Amino acid sequence: MWLLAWRNIWRKKWRSLLTAFAVGVVVYLTLIYFGMVGASQNGMYQSISQNAGHIQLRVAGYRDIHDFDDLLIDGVASLTEQISSAVTSLNSDIDTELIQDLQVSTALEVPGLLEGDGRSRGIVLQGIDQTDSGRERYAEEYLEAGNLPTPGDLESIALGNKLATALGVDLGDTVYMYAPGTEGYGAAAFTVTGLLNIAGAETFAVSSLLAAQDVGAPEDASRVELYFPNLRRFVDDPVLGAARDQLVGALAEAGVEVDALEVELWREVDPSISSYLASSEGITTVITGLFFVLAGLLVMNTVYLSVMERIKEFGVMIALGTKRRNVVRMMLGESLFICAVGASVGGVLGMVSLWRMAQGFSFPGMEELFVEYGLPATLYASISPDQIVLTVVFTVLTGILAALFPAFTAARLEPVEAMRFSAA
Amino acid sequence: MSVLLQAKQLEKTYRVGEVETYALRGVDLDVTEGEFTAVAGPSGSGKSTLLHLLAGLDKPSKGEVYLEGERIDTLSIAQLANLRLANFGFVFQAYNLIPVLSALENAAFVLELQGVPKKEREARAMEALTVLDMDQYASRRPNQLSGGQQQRVAVARALASNPSVILADEPTANLDSTTGLALIEHMKRLNEQQGVTFLFSTHDPRLLAHVKRIARVEDGKIVGEDSPQREPELVASGAA
Repeated sequence: MWLLAWRNIWRKKWRSLLTAFAVGVVVYLTLIYFGMVGASQNGMYQSISQNAGHIQLRVAGYRDIHDFDDLLIDGVASLTEQISSAVTSLNSDIDTELIQDLQVSTALEVPGLLEGDGRSRGIVLQGIDQTDSGRERYAEEYLEAGNLPTPGDLESIALGNKLATALGVDLGDTVYMYAPGTEGYGAAAFTVTGLLNIAGAETFAVSSLLAAQDVGAPEDASRVELYFPNLRRFVDDPVLGAARDQLVGALAEAGVEVDALEVELWREVDPSISSYLASSEGITTVITGLFFVLAGLLVMNTVYLSVMERIKEFGVMIALGTKRRNVVRMMLGESLFICAVGASVGGVLGMVSLWRMAQGFSFPGMEELFVEYGLPATLYASISPDQIVLTVVFTVLTGILAALFPAFTAARLEPVEAMRFSAA
Repeated sequence: MSVLLQAKQLEKTYRVGEVETYALRGVDLDVTEGEFTAVAGPSGSGKSTLLHLLAGLDKPSKGEVYLEGERIDTLSIAQLANLRLANFGFVFQAYNLIPVLSALENAAFVLELQGVPKKEREARAMEALTVLDMDQYASRRPNQLSGGQQQRVAVARALASNPSVILADEPTANLDSTTGLALIEHMKRLNEQQGVTFLFSTHDPRLLAHVKRIARVEDGKIVGEDSPQREPELVASGAA
């Protein structure tokens, strides 16, 4: 029966090849689609984690606190040292490669008024000290012109490009920051050294941590951000839960009053993006399913045509004693083989393309749009093992379901009627 | 000789809309082992229908069919498939070989369905082809064979599984005179030398001249039985 199925496939060679090609295209597009969705997830994940860290430490209950002073982590320098030493012990049960090379950033958010060229806007000044590599990466993604303030720089400020436009200032101009009622000087003058193309650019300004502390809260910070540079793929995100638990334990052992801190993962800091990323997987699966429904209709058409052309032959086979289940099996074999050939070729080509896209790709001319949607200009495709399994399962199901109706049509033929059948 | 196939008061009606058409009306027929028998009659007389009912390819509207004393018209579709596989060989008017299989594979097809191991089925199929002088064409596909050669492969397919009876529906209808006579000779030799039981439906006088018994069917009824005389011209031609 398998020999017969094999030979039948080659009876209408071009039709079989065309159907296999269509299945291959669907499998290829599915893999690329999964990869692109993975790339956008990774891009958003990367963007969020670079901006806010994978793990954030803030004052416990900070969401319900509205007083600027109560939001401050006192003496943040010693906390960052303790964190850095605690993280070195995070290795058991966690993929250590993913959590190596921790970068700790300290940030102070100072609300206030920024004035320039006679205009003013309410803003939140972000005082951030990043590592050299972190600043470099940040500049690559978001810096439109000029430079970012370096750690300890009390003079420089980088503004969101839209904020600069609203204030009527450009690189080299002076702006004035007012933050009355804080623990610092409450005011400062800065030279605009950089313009940023970043989401929320209308109210965004960034200075060194020291400059922001001078204005608002000397030696304190609003948050500490932990960024793991190797953790770039959304599918690897689950390691963070265990990393957080171990970090909290290690800090407690080191004598840090962890109850006074809120140690949150990025998805707890921004649940809306987290839930969007999670829900996108369901949508992706549904859309992929639709791809395969279309492929299935094409395969069904091929198998059904093949049955219609061979009705007399099926009649003879059944008359000679072929069991109906063997007829079904033969038709399923034909359909599955066509799907398998198409899927193999499409799968190999898809994986090769994905491998290349995993090295990084961009859409020239669309960088602005990407930034608008909070995505980095360079995206990295990725696909999870589950998605590969899903593609295989969809292919097999397509092969089976598409053949069932024609197969049962063939198996239910009455031999005498079928042998009298004339295709004309 | 014991009765192999038996039809008792067989009736077959077809309904098209409100109109009921009789294909068979109360047919009784016994076929004993080793017979070389024809059911003869004009087109539409019901001879093919009778063969189909006897082979379990179709179910009668009334009446009973027995194979070696066992009633078979009440069997399920799956049981009938098994019964046909184990007991019947078929030769059809239009040859009905499977086009993607070689002559050898076609001849071995029923054996494969029976689960006979590959080597054995190939040996038996080749033996059947040899008996029908088709061994030299074993690797050819049906479209590379003439009509007569295809029909001989069909007979080999029927023969290879060593069935109780071979039912042949108008086996010579599509063959020219010489080819038809050669095929008749082959089948007759199988009957005489190997004791294979043949039951034909035919109105081909060449074939009728060689059978041992003829059941004549008209309007769905058996109207008589006789033993034919060989037609002189056939004998003279050396075909018989």
